[in-house]
Amino acid sequence: MPASSASSSAPHRPEDLILRLSSAADGRDGDAKLRLLRELKNQIIGNRTKKLSYIGLGAVPSVVSILSSASSAAADSDEVESLLVQSAAAIGSFSCGVDAGVKAVLDAGAFPYLLNLVSHPNEKIVDAAARSLRMIYQSKLAPKYEFLQKKNMEFLLALLNKENENVTGLGASVITHSCETSIEQKALSDAGVLKKLSSLLGGSLSQRDASLESIATIINSNPEVISKFVGPESGRALSIVTELTKDRYPRTRLLACMCLIAIRNTSPSCLEGVGIKTKLILILLELLDDSGQVGDEAAFALCSLIAEREDLQKLAFEANAVDKLCNHLEKGSLHAKRLEGIFLALSSLCSKLECCRSRFLSLKNNRALFGIFPLKGIFKIGLLRCWTFGLTVSFGFREALNLVTDALTHVCIEVRGAACICLKSLSRSVKNLSAGTFMNEIILVPLVQLLCDSPTSLQVAALGAISNIVVDFTVHKSTFIQCGGAKQLVQLSKSMDSTVRLNAVWALRNLMFHVNNRCKEEILSELTASVLASLISDPKPSVQEQALALVRNLVDGPEDFADYVFAEDCLLLHAVGNQLQNASKPDVLLQGRSNLGPPRLFPKKKHAVSPGGGWGKDEVFARDADASIKELTKGMYTLCNVASGNEFSKEAVMSQLFCQTSNTQCILVNFLQNSDSRFRTAAVWTVVNLTFPSSPGAFDRAGKLRNAGIATQLKNMVDDSCVDVKLRVKTAIGQMMSFGDGST
Amino acid sequence: ATSKKVITIDEWEKKLSDVKIRKEDMNKLVMNFLVTEGYVDAAEKFRMESGTEHIDLATITDRMAVKKAVQSGNVEDAIEKVNDLNPEILDTNPQLFFHLQQQRLIELIRNGKVEEALEFAQEELAPRGEENQSFLEELERTVALLAFEDVTNCPVGELLDISQRLKTASEVNAAILTSQSHEKDPKLPSLLKMLIWAQNQLDEKAAFPHISNLSTAALEDPPV
Repeated sequence: MPASSASSSAPHRPEDLILRLSSAADGRDGDAKLRLLRELKNQIIGNRTKKLSYIGLGAVPSVVSILSSASSAAADSDEVESLLVQSAAAIGSFSCGVDAGVKAVLDAGAFPYLLNLVSHPNEKIVDAAARSLRMIYQSKLAPKYEFLQKKNMEFLLALLNKENENVTGLGASVITHSCETSIEQKALSDAGVLKKLSSLLGGSLSQRDASLESIATIINSNPEVISKFVGPESGRALSIVTELTKDRYPRTRLLACMCLIAIRNTSPSCLEGVGIKTKLILILLELLDDSGQVGDEAAFALCSLIAEREDLQKLAFEANAVDKLCNHLEKGSLHAKRLEGIFLALSSLCSKLECCRSRFLSLKNNRALFGIFPLKGIFKIGLLRCWTFGLTVSFGFREALNLVTDALTHVCIEVRGAACICLKSLSRSVKNLSAGTFMNEIILVPLVQLLCDSPTSLQVAALGAISNIVVDFTVHKSTFIQCGGAKQLVQLSKSMDSTVRLNAVWALRNLMFHVNNRCKEEILSELTASVLASLISDPKPSVQEQALALVRNLVDGPEDFADYVFAEDCLLLHAVGNQLQNASKPDVLLQGRSNLGPPRLFPKKKHAVSPGGGWGKDEVFARDADASIKELTKGMYTLCNVASGNEFSKEAVMSQLFCQTSNTQCILVNFLQNSDSRFRTAAVWTVVNLTFPSSPGAFDRAGKLRNAGIATQLKNMVDDSCVDVKLRVKTAIGQMMSFGDGST
Repeated sequence: ATSKKVITIDEWEKKLSDVKIRKEDMNKLVMNFLVTEGYVDAAEKFRMESGTEHIDLATITDRMAVKKAVQSGNVEDAIEKVNDLNPEILDTNPQLFFHLQQQRLIELIRNGKVEEALEFAQEELAPRGEENQSFLEELERTVALLAFEDVTNCPVGELLDISQRLKTASEVNAAILTSQSHEKDPKLPSLLKMLIWAQNQLDEKAAFPHISNLSTAALEDPPV
């Protein structure tokens, strides 16, 4: 029975189709190739499952080989042109939203052919090739486009100058996905690309949207390019973009806002104007109502706009942003991306302003209760019963905070992380920390759970929230310890990752702050002196600082804990002393301060306007500059606190301060001579404690201090600029004088 | 007695005659309507008689072919045509693709091809539900058709209505228009809505001749 070529009603099974396709690819039967290509194409378009299965079966190389043989055909017949169109279309479909497809297509060598076909005389072929390339460039796997090569820049400009929407769209897409460095941005701007894109803003809808995205990429974090963009030579580009924020299409509005946000974040002065800030906030809040991708991205854009900017947070608060964001959360059944965006936006909103935090924490909702009863498929009687039950329980309310807490156990990692960051902002509220709002199991248990066995970034996010919560000014810290919190923190303080270590120690330090003795004991039994000592001498200065602060908090209070520093052969005391000795050499001090640059607010990523992935590591990073200073003063204060204890303590401190054999200056003198008043304050307090008259050994200690030149130094400081220092110097001199002026 | 100003028909008509509307604008409105709704022959005739320009007729013809195919129940044919027109449409529009597949299943059931329908549901429709949770509910409803002997009288029987075909056809039409960067709705309805809204607004301030019947546009005496 001859196979009828017109029988397209019975589709081939995938394996069959692949076999026939690959044999046809090697042959010359153009008709068969065309038929099979079309069948394949029509099966895979829109059908992700089929795409993946055909990729697995090796369809892509066959298609690409048809493309290549048609490309190199001697004559351009109708058949050849159809083959080009269909094979390009199939390749485009394989690449659409499927990374495995993009990889297969690139591996099979399709790229150069497609690039070539964009210049073909037949418009349909150009369309197909341009679309396919655009699909490839949506993926991270797309080859990097080297803008800095002259030929490439010319080609790009040629693309942007074409009439064909697909081709200009391709040019824009290449820019959006390949432009990464500020050098590339400048090159694109200098070559006139930015100007060309601005003119495309007057084109069709797809051209406008594509241009907006590309413009945002080129101007991102680049003040020089921005000033050119808003300058007079570039026409009315800025005002056109501003107009587009009021466009009827939500996606255009969003993209235009993101351009303006990019400008605002880098060069705020370029975007001053009556109410532009408020307008942006209002537009973004309204875009949240869109249930699709636009709404998702609007949340991230809002976060980016207001992050670190108190004035904008205030405006957002006045625009009722807290309530609006909370309303969106309450809607329930939001997909993960949306939830992540909203939590991040809330966290930015509440990061500095107490009014925002209070507002959020005061919101209640009663929607959640009806969600408990699924009404689908319930029989009438049961429905009646359920309704009644629902009605009676409805008088209770759920707090908005519960929405955040629930998300700590969300199935998606990014949502959990975003919820942690949100909690971190909310828990900056001193009022609520004092009221013990956060110190309960509902919040603590999932938080502690996140510390175990999560990816590092999630652990860091959770630690951020915990650090604040355990500052808790009530005495309920034992709840945290009972949830296994202290144990987890200690575990993480031994992590290989320095960021995790830093945050864990920070949290422990906060936990140790003003905590009762019983809790101190429990924490210490987990922590042990040796771990703490190693933390004090941690390779990272920022970790040292926190460890020293932890010790300071530890010895703060009744004497028996001050003795802890003497445990295990004065392990801790030695560690503190060593740290002070090693770190307080003058040149190290100076060096530590001069190695700073300004902290980067936005790492240079492609979509820096929307901080989607990565949860602002900048927020929890170590301010290494300050670390040296703070760490040293804390070390000194630790010794100072210890020196306020009994005779043994005072002697121990003295041995720490005078344990050097070389004739370098005593640390105390270094501190007293330092230009930073914090150092001088810490040191003079220590002297005061060491020479406290009622202690038996005070006389000897005063003598030692005098020999080290302390008395002379103090005399030079009677008129110190810092009042605190001045007063203590007076006390110290007085005390030392009472032992005589030291002449033997 | 109200404090509203009263305007008689004569006064109103006089005011109206002072308003100038250009013929070209009206022609464009008509052409826009014909084109968006897909009346190809009418659009061409109108172009010849009025001189009003429109977009390339070929694209309208293609679009109309797709719409017709769906309306006749030839969904597979429609899908092929859409893919020839622009492969991106179905690749980037999961909801539309789902509805087209759904329509295919409905047509199979309508033609009594139960076996094929079952296989189709399993091979083609179920994966859509896996790829996208939001389709699950509609998927269930559609598959429910297979469970009933008397399909036309079952709870989900409305899926077999012709109106379902029209709904899907309309969705495809809109998607094609959007992909061609055209507005998917004609301007005429918006203008009429604006008219009714403006009349309602003015009602609060004056008593004036209304247009109640949009098809005749006849002025009615102001209410006393």
